[in-house]
Amino acid sequence: MISPLIGGLQKTTNYKVVLPFYLYASIGFLVGTILLFFSTDAVNVHHFNPQTLAITHTMALAWGTMIIFGASHQLLPVLIEGKLDSDLLAYLTFGFAAIGIPILVFGFYIFDMGLTLQIGGLLINIAVIFYMVNVIASSFKSKHRNVHAWFVIMATVWLFSTTFFGLLLVLNFSYPIFNKNSLDFLAIHAHLGIVGWFVLLVIGVGSRLIPMFLISKYTNNKTLWWIFGLMNGALILFILLFLLETPTIFYYLPISMGLIAVLLFGNHCYKAYKVRIRRGVDQQVTTSLISVAQMVLPIFALIVALSILPSESNPSIAILYGFCIFFGWLTAIILGMTFKTMPFIVWNRSYRNNAHRAKTPTPKELFNDNVYKIMLYVYLIGFLTFIVGIMLLQQLILKIGAIALIIAAILYVYNVFITLTHKPKLT
Amino acid sequence: MNLNIKTNNQEKCDHALVDLYNVYDPEVGLNIVDLGLVYEINFNEENKNVECIMTLTSQFCPMGEAITSDTTNSLSSSFPEWKVNINLIFDPPWDFSKISQEGKEFLGH
Repeated sequence: MISPLIGGLQKTTNYKVVLPFYLYASIGFLVGTILLFFSTDAVNVHHFNPQTLAITHTMALAWGTMIIFGASHQLLPVLIEGKLDSDLLAYLTFGFAAIGIPILVFGFYIFDMGLTLQIGGLLINIAVIFYMVNVIASSFKSKHRNVHAWFVIMATVWLFSTTFFGLLLVLNFSYPIFNKNSLDFLAIHAHLGIVGWFVLLVIGVGSRLIPMFLISKYTNNKTLWWIFGLMNGALILFILLFLLETPTIFYYLPISMGLIAVLLFGNHCYKAYKVRIRRGVDQQVTTSLISVAQMVLPIFALIVALSILPSESNPSIAILYGFCIFFGWLTAIILGMTFKTMPFIVWNRSYRNNAHRAKTPTPKELFNDNVYKIMLYVYLIGFLTFIVGIMLLQQLILKIGAIALIIAAILYVYNVFITLTHKPKLT
Repeated sequence: MNLNIKTNNQEKCDHALVDLYNVYDPEVGLNIVDLGLVYEINFNEENKNVECIMTLTSQFCPMGEAITSDTTNSLSSSFPEWKVNINLIFDPPWDFSKISQEGKEFLGH
């Protein structure tokens, strides 16, 4: 006889809320790499061109944001020590984003700065508002709001700032909202998204998950609050300097603040790694740790870009900066964390109520580990090859790098697909 | 081996542990006994009731439902005619010191 319900246990988020985001994001990654292959000639022109804009928004929204939406709906209860406020808002977030993103990307690709981009941007903003309301309501209904929760809350507010400002920039092409051209504000839009949304969120979630997966007792909230302050401060300072049109030399201050924050985060992960209880580190956590090291690359690219400004003289540096962020750091951490979260969600779906009634596979057996390893090596080859291609401006090298990234994306999609379609096997 | 699991019936507790050693934390890959999640197993002969007082590594552990469900099934398997109650507590909270020596060795120590 079995007791009906166990008290004191927090229910996890419904898998139906989470898994569509993973599937969508995996397709987004594949589309992003294919677009990259057909756009290698855009690496030496100004980044405001149809292909680069389409690729950037595919990687930022369809890939990075959608998978973070999915994972954060699952992980938010762990971070805030509460429950997700609304499944409905999560479904609405998915629905509006899933429709809005391809419209926006298509708008960029055909370079229609009018209605197509406006509709896409509006739908994405609605999705982000639903997400923001859900995150904030979930966080403030919880009794505990630790430093990790504040990272997620602030990142979400910055995300809305990014998409809303982006929508204003789109509208500015048709209606005079600003007294300047939208192109003049691209740096603000980009860094609101990169630093405010992606970096803050990844640090907030990563600083909780990496020690958890390593079974490490290391924790240092004081350092994490310093990182929180430095990153937010760097972003606000950058925006002020940009709006005040200060000389280039002043930008080294927010860049230094960001660099210190990244190094502190790296040190945090290293200390967690040093005192870990679990000695063996799996490929997925290794990938995530590699991505922490990759965070430094775009900062160096930015310093190089600033030191040889004006960037018009060498537009490939700006491309290198964006590539290191979206195809480097962000992609690496997603490749790792996907297979540290999604198999467990699927396993819970399939075996939660059947455990011990029969032998069940482990979550790690829900995807093909060999395919994962090959994907990781091919990805690293593609990433490094493409960087060499950007620096040498060699089309053949760029194409080879892009092909490797497409292969990595196909292998990733394959593993996502076999995990999502897993049928319970009880022996 | 000192597991520090309290009980009012050592013989039945040992019987329960045989099956509980096969209940795993799916993320860690270690059984819940060596992981130190089981605090107490008590038996009420009169009501045919077995109560397992246990914890999780975190109250918000995403695998919590699966682990407690597995534990329930395990105890039901050991005591088919008995009612199983899982009493999940978080005070005292789980920490690394609760992992058994065997568990630490499994984790590479």
